Amino acid sequence: MSYYSALTKTAAIIIALIVIIAAAGIGYYIITQQAQPTKIIWVSTQLVPPEEQAFVKDQLLAEFTKETGIQVEFVGSSYEDLATRLESEEGAGKVTISLIGELHGGLDYFASKGWLEDLGKFGALSGRTFPKVLEDYSKLHGIKAYIPWMTATYVMVINKKAFNYLPDDLTQDDIMQGTSKWTYDAFLAWAKRLYEETGGPKVGFPAGPKGLFVRFLHGYLYPAFTGAQVKNFDSQDAVTMWEWLKELWQYVHPSSTTWDAMADPLLKEEVWIAWDHTARIKDAIATKPDDFIVVPVPAGPKGRGFILVIAGLAVPKGAPNEDAAWKLIEYLTRPGTQVKVLQNVGFFPSVNEATGAVPEGPLKILASGVNKQLGTTDALVALIPSLGAKGGDFKNVYITAFQRIVQNGEDIQAVISELKPQLMGLFEETGAPLPPPDV
Amino acid sequence: MCKLFSKYILIRGVFIAMPSHPSFVEKYLPYILIAPALGYMLFFIGYPLIQAIYLAFTKNGALSLENLDYLLHSPFSKFYEALTNTFLLVIVIIPIQVAIALGLAMLFNIKFKGRNVALYSIILPLTISDVAAGLIWYTMLSTNGFFNKLFINLGITSEPIYFFGYQFRQMEFLAIVITEIWRATAIVFVIVFAGLQMISQEHIEAAEVFGANVWQRLRYIVFPMLLPSLQAALIIRTLFAFQIFGVVWTLAGRDIPILAGEAYYEQVELKHQGVAAIYALVIAGISVAIGYLYIKLFKAKYLEAGT
Repeated sequence: MSYYSALTKTAAIIIALIVIIAAAGIGYYIITQQAQPTKIIWVSTQLVPPEEQAFVKDQLLAEFTKETGIQVEFVGSSYEDLATRLESEEGAGKVTISLIGELHGGLDYFASKGWLEDLGKFGALSGRTFPKVLEDYSKLHGIKAYIPWMTATYVMVINKKAFNYLPDDLTQDDIMQGTSKWTYDAFLAWAKRLYEETGGPKVGFPAGPKGLFVRFLHGYLYPAFTGAQVKNFDSQDAVTMWEWLKELWQYVHPSSTTWDAMADPLLKEEVWIAWDHTARIKDAIATKPDDFIVVPVPAGPKGRGFILVIAGLAVPKGAPNEDAAWKLIEYLTRPGTQVKVLQNVGFFPSVNEATGAVPEGPLKILASGVNKQLGTTDALVALIPSLGAKGGDFKNVYITAFQRIVQNGEDIQAVISELKPQLMGLFEETGAPLPPPDV
Repeated sequence: MCKLFSKYILIRGVFIAMPSHPSFVEKYLPYILIAPALGYMLFFIGYPLIQAIYLAFTKNGALSLENLDYLLHSPFSKFYEALTNTFLLVIVIIPIQVAIALGLAMLFNIKFKGRNVALYSIILPLTISDVAAGLIWYTMLSTNGFFNKLFINLGITSEPIYFFGYQFRQMEFLAIVITEIWRATAIVFVIVFAGLQMISQEHIEAAEVFGANVWQRLRYIVFPMLLPSLQAALIIRTLFAFQIFGVVWTLAGRDIPILAGEAYYEQVELKHQGVAAIYALVIAGISVAIGYLYIKLFKAKYLEAGT
């Protein structure tokens, strides 16, 4: 064999090998590309704590992937990070997020910027009805901006013993149904009677440094007495409200200023009536379901003000795999999924069918109380304003007013007139709209 | 090369380099040895310190005194209250702790049966975190807690004593003092007790031979020889006392504002990083000043004692 023919043979073998490897590589690439399941990114500011994320990834999404073959990457994020990311992606026209889970306030802002897809084009979700208030709020800036996903609220928990000390012309049924007789004045009379006849204060609030009492001030009392959270901050109605609170505070357990959550004081029977976030009283009801009852909050002169925290699911404009995102929305709003969310992370359902599907037990007590509050005829829903990093300053205005007026006995009008500009300044500085029911 | 030789001597017109003394290694060894520690300090203390100063005195990258202005003048700032309360707590707690620790150390210096068991039970609270200690005492002192039930059952009081709440800030203060003494006296005790055991019996026996009474032996022998331990104990205790947080936070929330608590509140709840940084710097400043003061005050006496 000549030197050249050997060389040609070797070259032929090498070329053949290269062709085979390349063909195999291309084939493999094509096959894997076809078999590659759809993968979408879901960025959420809710369910971010590790144990909640574990529930989302290991249970909720695992089942969804099994059912649809769609893989979901769940990204827990802060509001600021999400807003920054969405802004840059929408600006560059290269969107990677398929689904957003955020609170109403943030979604309102995104919709105002034109970053959200109109979900109306997907049609209605069958087999579930959303409460009217949620339907109304989810339509923003002319589009169906989001699908209500989860709700949370703050309610009153009553130890059944307290019903033995009801003031005249207030019945247990009035309270449980949230009738027009269940007012803040009736509540004050009840607190007073409890104080006088049991020998000590029996009403408590989570007014500790990490407690949520401030939500009671701006989202419950202010709307109920003045019809608004912010704009009537220094009105005459507000003066009446602070006077009422000063009077009530005589019958409130003094340790309230050290309580961050009401489950413990309720269980220890330090108080019989408490107001708190549903998640923070769940333990008390779960431990002693027979002792407690969850009721709607009282009503004030302007209505029954209460905060509803609404988390919604939205699709960014130009999102990849829109249909997969819609499938995920469909899955997450199924009554069965919503009950699972309630059982595992304590967020309440956004569809009526789910409330009925909650199994008997402590959660049912909570869910029915929450549902009754939502369904009261004089409901005046307040939403937490989305001030981003200034949210703390917003709360601080109300806390400071409380400390100066109720705890230090300063002149009401002087304090609220002094603080009003600070409060309005926060909205001017951030450009955030006044929260409902102000607008 | 030159560094290796420190002296040059002129001998018959020729410079002769003399090996330096101490040698190169001997001279620089201490620096090499402390270099890792120094590097660690620079990275974990120096760098954050610079970061804190940057956070405190800039806004959007430009020099700004806005945070300081908020701290000192804003109606929302509780700086002066926090400063006063922190100093008050230190002034009340430290002397009581030192007195109790000294007394206990003297007591335990006498050998008696069951001494070890008693020793361990006194040191036990030291192993409990401050928040846990706060929660324990909060539960015991609450209106439905152990002490109130005890007092009512014994007929000492007919109504529960309120320890907590804004209206009862003096009682909250008391609860904090009780908890801190229960929790942190042991660290002073351990150090003082160790110091006490270091004192040679020979000194005391010698004094006895010369006819010194108990008080004189304490005053002129035990106490001066104990000063180094006391200094260490005081530095540790006082510095930690200025950082007091967990106990106050669990027992009184923000009813009694304190420096570390306000730093936390400004950072976590209000997202005022710059203001929180100033609080941190104030605590650091006080700590450095106190440390310096103690070392200055105690050093002279320590040398006088001649140990």
